[in-house]
Amino acid sequence: MTTVNVRPAGHGLVRAGRGSFLVHRRSALVAGGLLLLLAAACVAYLCVGEKSVAPGEVLRILLGEPSPSAFVVEELREPRLVVALAVGAAFGIAGGLIQTVARNPLASPDIIGISQGAGAVTVAAMTFGLTSYTVLPYVSIAGGILAAALVYAFAWRGGLHATRFVLIGIGIAIALRSLITLFMTKGDYLVAQQAQIWMTGSLNGRGWDESAPIRWTLLLLLPAVLWAARAQRTVSLDDDTATALGVRLGAVRLGLVAVGVVLASVATGVAGPVDFVALLAPQIARRMTRTAQIPLLCSALTGAVIVVVADLLGRRLFSPVELPVGVLTAAVGAPYLIWLIVRSRAVGGKT
Amino acid sequence: MSRLQARELTLAYEDRTVVEELDLAIPDGRVTVIVGPNACGKSTTLRALGRLLRPAGGAVLLDGEELAKLPTKRIARSIGLLPQTPVAPEAITVADLVSRGRQPHQAWWKQWSEEDERAVTDAMERTDVAALADRSVDALSGGQRQRVWIAMALAQETDLLLLDEPTTYLDISHQVEVLDLVRRLNRLRGRTVVLVLHDLNQAARYADHLVAMKAGRVVAEGPPEEIVTAELVRDVFGLSSVVVPDPVTGSPLVVPGAPWGAEEPVRS
Ligand SMILES: Nc1ncnc2c1ncn2[C@@H]1O[C@H](COP(=O)(O)OP(=O)(O)OP(=O)(O)O)[C@@H](O)[C@H]1O
Ligand SMILES: [Mg+2]
Repeated sequence: MTTVNVRPAGHGLVRAGRGSFLVHRRSALVAGGLLLLLAAACVAYLCVGEKSVAPGEVLRILLGEPSPSAFVVEELREPRLVVALAVGAAFGIAGGLIQTVARNPLASPDIIGISQGAGAVTVAAMTFGLTSYTVLPYVSIAGGILAAALVYAFAWRGGLHATRFVLIGIGIAIALRSLITLFMTKGDYLVAQQAQIWMTGSLNGRGWDESAPIRWTLLLLLPAVLWAARAQRTVSLDDDTATALGVRLGAVRLGLVAVGVVLASVATGVAGPVDFVALLAPQIARRMTRTAQIPLLCSALTGAVIVVVADLLGRRLFSPVELPVGVLTAAVGAPYLIWLIVRSRAVGGKT
Repeated sequence: MSRLQARELTLAYEDRTVVEELDLAIPDGRVTVIVGPNACGKSTTLRALGRLLRPAGGAVLLDGEELAKLPTKRIARSIGLLPQTPVAPEAITVADLVSRGRQPHQAWWKQWSEEDERAVTDAMERTDVAALADRSVDALSGGQRQRVWIAMALAQETDLLLLDEPTTYLDISHQVEVLDLVRRLNRLRGRTVVLVLHDLNQAARYADHLVAMKAGRVVAEGPPEEIVTAELVRDVFGLSSVVVPDPVTGSPLVVPGAPWGAEEPVRS
């Protein structure tokens, strides 16, 4: 493997056999930094709780040494940490892909109806007595994909128009939200409460079994995500220019949306719609890397950091009362969303 | 000979027909310039020649094969096209944008080659944007931006190059520079070029083959010195003019006649 300096400023070239890959140097550095931050957040997550464990002890436990705290760290906190990591990364990637296709930093699965689709179907299932966290994810995956297909079908008119895609998404999201409210008021009190907690996005009670769908999805979609990271480059140009460069826009967009929708739906299925993560992570990551398109790896890492830190705070901030992770992400996300809108007005609403 | 041809081409947006039954053969190894009034369908025709617009009737043929049936990436290795108003992604750098012109020559596992490097460097030097390489495209002047887009189209290194009004936004010296560049590409490298231009005199000077369009039809085509006449200008643009030989090249020079207010006496 050798590296050479080449033209597109700020990129390094990695050669491996007959292949050659462009690596954006700043993105690589940011990814490294985020990994360190994420590692620190993970250790902190495992240390802090009702029973504090020293960081050194946590590391020893992770390396497999016996310890009296092993149960707390490995059986109670670690499975939930893995869910946080997977859900955060999935939302980070999904948000990045959907924002790329919609060409709009305000688009994300929780705004264009995917989370609401997953929510409506899940809450409906809950009202009909289905409450197992191992089955619910599959139900909500179906709901998310269904909602996305609906948005896509309505927005499609001989081609996918980015703005129409977002507006129709918002419309469908609103319609589905009222459907959710309807189910909640129809169902009995306990179900409504469980649904309410699910709707805010919570990692409470999620362990290895519950996180299986998201772990498998991330693993299986890894090749698709690698493809998407490169394909994103081409759809960020305008339609005519991209087509002139030989990009099969329709197919590429559908592929990108599909990967995003599946990831978002599965993550929503596992943890509920953890608001704003998919919206925030790609934009934060992109501001750090200063790339022309959303850096998927950095976006995934940012999403993971956000969810891990938010859940850590949610567990401890008002202990013994636990706040659902979605409450914290919303508390940070909502002001950011407003700032984004105000700022985009200031520059003339350029999308 | 013509690698690129339009046969009975009908083009429409939704159900509004813009171009009807157009027959056009782009002569190989020549510079073809399309002129015509605003909204007569020049961009529409160019977009169809570059498969950006699916014909409502008829076909565009590349080497005798219907464009609509060829893989788009293969077309992109033969035809380069610069739209009238391309939009750059936010915050992209000049070098990054130009290197995207190499897209059709790359694959997932072959993201950059010596060939790419050479083509991009070459394109940036020819269009005089090498010094801007690290600047953000957002922060350039209209003319600089236009040259960056042209560089991107050049980096694609296709035999056929379609440029929609490449000289808008450019000052007169850069206009001449771009047109000279196009001509050099054509003369030295045998590239076939199709341009849409608004300046009739530039069109007459740089075209080997001039196509005059009006309301979606070709009104006249041929070498400029044969077809550019005062009648044609009146017919196509509704403008009275005098056509004289260009003092430098001898190509037809259109001088608008009847200056403002000259045809009627000033009312008092
Ligand atoms: N995307 C579109 N949707 C609908 N109608 C369009 C579209 N693009 C162009 N038109 C219409 O098609 C007609 C021809 O437009 P075209 O862009 O081809 O003109 P043009 O000759 O390139 O004009 P100009 O010199 O102003 O660039 C115009 O009436 C225009 O309004
Ligand atoms: Mg035009």
